[in-house]
Amino acid sequence: MAVSFQQIEEKLKTEARRLLESGEVSLVLAWGKGYDEKHPMPYVAKCPSDADGIVFNEYCTHNPARYLVRYPRGTKIAVAVKAADSRAVVQLIQEDKVKRRDLVILGIPVYGIKNPKTGELIDGKTTCGLYNPVLYDVLIGEEVHGQPVSSPYAVLAEYEAMDRDARFAFWKKELDRCIRCYACRKACPMCYCDPCFIDQRKPRWGEKSPEPAGNLMYHLTRFHHLAGRCIDCGECSRACPVDIPLYLFHKKVAKDCEEMFGQAAGMSIEDKPVLVNFRMEDSDKILE
Amino acid sequence: MSRIGVFVCHCGLNIAKTVRVSELAQFASTLPDVVVAKDYKFMCSTPGQEMIANDIREHRLDRVIVTACSPLMHEQTFRKVLAASGLNQYLLTIVNIREQVSWVTHDLDEGTAKAKALLNGAVSRSRLLMPLTSRVIDVNPDVMVLGGGIAGIQAALELANTGRKVYLVEKNSTIGGHMAQFDKTFPTLDCSACILTPKMDSVLQHKNIQLMTSCEVSEVKGFVGNFDITIRQKARYVDHNKCNACLACTEKCPGKSVSEWDEGLVKRKAIYIPFPQAVPQKPVIDREACTFFKKGKCRLCEKVCEQKAIDFGEQDTFSTVKVGAVIVATGYDLMDTRDLIQYGYGKYPGVYNALEVERLFNSAGPTSGKVTLRDGSEPKAIAILHCIGSRDKNSHEHCSRVCCMYSLKFAHLFKEKTSADVYQFYIDIRAAGKGYEEFYNRIIEEDVKFIRGKVARVAKSVDEPDRLIVEAEDTITGKFIKLPVDMVVLSPAMIPRSNAKDVARLFNLSTDKQGFFMERHPKLAPLSTMSEGVFIAGVCQSPKDIPDTVAQANGAAAEALTIVVKDKLELEATTVMVNPASCCACQNCVRVCPYGAPFFNEPKGVSEINEALCKGCGLCASVCPSSAIIARHFTNEQVLAEMEGLMEF
Ligand SMILES: Cc1cc2nc3c(=O)[nH]c(=O)nc-3n(C[C@H](O)[C@H](O)[C@H](O)COP(=O)(O)OP(=O)(O)OC[C@H]3O[C@@H](n4cnc5c(N)ncnc54)[C@H](O)[C@@H]3O)c2cc1C
Ligand code: SF4
Ligand code: SF4
Ligand code: SF4
Ligand code: SF4
Repeated sequence: MAVSFQQIEEKLKTEARRLLESGEVSLVLAWGKGYDEKHPMPYVAKCPSDADGIVFNEYCTHNPARYLVRYPRGTKIAVAVKAADSRAVVQLIQEDKVKRRDLVILGIPVYGIKNPKTGELIDGKTTCGLYNPVLYDVLIGEEVHGQPVSSPYAVLAEYEAMDRDARFAFWKKELDRCIRCYACRKACPMCYCDPCFIDQRKPRWGEKSPEPAGNLMYHLTRFHHLAGRCIDCGECSRACPVDIPLYLFHKKVAKDCEEMFGQAAGMSIEDKPVLVNFRMEDSDKILE
Repeated sequence: MSRIGVFVCHCGLNIAKTVRVSELAQFASTLPDVVVAKDYKFMCSTPGQEMIANDIREHRLDRVIVTACSPLMHEQTFRKVLAASGLNQYLLTIVNIREQVSWVTHDLDEGTAKAKALLNGAVSRSRLLMPLTSRVIDVNPDVMVLGGGIAGIQAALELANTGRKVYLVEKNSTIGGHMAQFDKTFPTLDCSACILTPKMDSVLQHKNIQLMTSCEVSEVKGFVGNFDITIRQKARYVDHNKCNACLACTEKCPGKSVSEWDEGLVKRKAIYIPFPQAVPQKPVIDREACTFFKKGKCRLCEKVCEQKAIDFGEQDTFSTVKVGAVIVATGYDLMDTRDLIQYGYGKYPGVYNALEVERLFNSAGPTSGKVTLRDGSEPKAIAILHCIGSRDKNSHEHCSRVCCMYSLKFAHLFKEKTSADVYQFYIDIRAAGKGYEEFYNRIIEEDVKFIRGKVARVAKSVDEPDRLIVEAEDTITGKFIKLPVDMVVLSPAMIPRSNAKDVARLFNLSTDKQGFFMERHPKLAPLSTMSEGVFIAGVCQSPKDIPDTVAQANGAAAEALTIVVKDKLELEATTVMVNPASCCACQNCVRVCPYGAPFFNEPKGVSEINEALCKGCGLCASVCPSSAIIARHFTNEQVLAEMEGLMEF
């Protein structure tokens, strides 16, 4: 069964128009036209006629959930989401950043999204690899049947084979290249802190301009802040102009978290944010 | 610019043996802003304290660092010295070079180097300390006692006699605890009921005690001086205000269940009082056993009750009480010896555990005090096995402390009530209490046979199928023994209540390796806990006999009183606040705080702290991603400065 991007786009437009016309929501977060077909952009439709500007094609990689927290609490929002994007919505609900009742989730089952930079298929290697949204109100299209073939953590095999020193050397080399454009942070739906710790001056946690020690401080802390929260959309890594494989680190932490606490980020709104939730039966492995 | 004084304590040789103390003082004097640095044998002594006070005046110190033992020991001592010298008490820093340095190494060089690093960190932080003002709060004068065993009863009575209002919360339908199950108590062999029931009755009659049976604590909020405790009153299905204890209902009831009170040796009714002297002496319905609840038909009790006290529609209810202090006295369980299959408990009818035997001796027990086996016959030979599951690396390492003594008591009672031969299988007899050794000697005289050796196995006799064989090595003669007996009595390990973990979580108590509640200090604060205003007494703290339990209960009552006699209480100033400009509204703080202090201010879109609830534990600060939480006395700047100081080494 082939996914028809055209059909999804049409259906998105129709739903968006309907929701805006009825006043059910005051805005719809989706994708719109960019400077060419390969570069669609995040898009906000605020009135029924804006719905025509919605675009959906194989390059719609962005995670619209990123923009949910921009609007005042209580704003009624419809948000178009692919599988991983829907997990971000779930995680934000868990963290009480948005309320379930304020959202209309337009879930898009899809596979075949491509990285505009490389043209490669986006799959479980750089994202969670799921096909279907985990939570939605309106399903745009039909559920994609079947399961992703490989685990989202399979890509870690090579990395996990390295010893401690090799891992450190690996990340040192990667992170030394960071130019501190903060695109990763801007793209991430879970990076909503304002100000981000790295921008604070009292205390100054690390150097703001690109240099090895500050880069390490920024990234290690960011990885840590996303532990148990990263929903594996892979947007950070795709946003990175120098192609640092941030997803590897995030996946490793997510895997550890899942193994220790039996919970993956953003899978159910019944879950509580795992690292700030205490359960008697929690594993003590984290202390080792 | 600060003017810091550093005072290095030798703690006799405790510190001086692995830290070169004068070198440390010399090193301190080279650090920036340190204007005076001295070492002294015992800094906490009066001359030590005077030395600090003099130096504060003479050198116009504005920060003091005492390099000594844990702040748990003497922080208060030295804070008072500062306060008396006109310095804000929060300008004191304690560097723990005893527990953290001298006691964890034998190496003088290593010890000295670590002490220097810690001190260097402390000097860096000390400069940034700010004067703080302690908070003063009102204290609720009432006390809650949790658990109505002898410990809880004693504590409640003591407190009530001082005029305090006491809530005595007991999960069972009667108070009394384990002591109410016994017939006689060692070493005096006085009748347990005779000394306990008058106390139980006093509890019921006392105008200052509100007895809350069939109750459990479901939530604890607040803190020392001001606890808000939610109590769940379990449905009893009998209105105790109407019931006049005629007990006509218990006679008619067809429902049956095993009697917990008689350790399962007999049955009881579905509507029942556990034993004749129960307090309150009013029945409750056991839902699981009640024919009406099981089959929808019966209601016999309702028919015979002239008071119309039976109410099948009763639900659990919740109420909140406010108290200033809490005493936890939740007691113990005996370990389930079925797990130790070598002793055959649960398999051979002739094997009993100690509490079952207590019931056999008891004239109000299942056999009216006659010692008979399950088939009604009288045993001719009885073996009492000590240390079952206690002092055993494979099960519980601790000594249960009372088993030697009650085993001797059992021997005496067996001798009194039967003509059986009685054998004690022991590792060694621990009879360290007042009158205990004398009691032991008395039992030896009574022709009880003592075999030193831990029993390896209890098996069924091949020749006489009704009898049991006890196998052990007599470690005195070195001989292997196979002794035929009719009755085997196990003395199982005393272990924490199965609900101890829940209680610990509710009241923020720590537990020790065995799971007993941990005291604040094993010697100097044995009844206090890390949770201020919460005290422990009785076996919930560790195995002990009744005299020790009662002594602890009185002590805990006195400790609780020291809190509730005051109408105001000074609390640590070390609380936290939120800088709203940095808060990103993640609400991590709200989720992790064990005391419910942070809350989300929805209109402002930021979290705030209810400072009255904050204990200054710092958890929130550590999970705040945008460092919006400022922990007074442990600000990010202060902690980072300390770390930088540490890392210079
Ligand atoms: C077989 C045997 C014989 C003994 N004989 C003697 C003897 O002869 N002489 C002697 O000095 N000592 C004897 N002891 C020791 C004695 O039993 C204890 O020292 C004493 O009973 C301890 O009292 P307690 O109040 O601490 O605990 P407990 O008697 O266990 O009472 C605890 C009470 O707390 C209640 N409770 C528990 N959890 C909760 C909760 N979460 N909420 C509300 N209530 C709760 C329980 O229902 C119980 O009523 C003997 C012990 C055993 C095992
Ligand atoms: S860290 Fe990267 S992969 Fe994870 S949620 Fe943020 S953007 Fe997505
Ligand atoms: S996007 Fe890449 S270069 Fe930019 S800050 Fe993140 S890791 Fe560094
Ligand atoms: S943890 Fe920090 S950022 Fe998050 S809500 Fe609390 S104060 Fe605000
Ligand atoms: S320091 Fe934070 S977590 Fe700890 S009690 Fe205070 S508010 Fe709660």
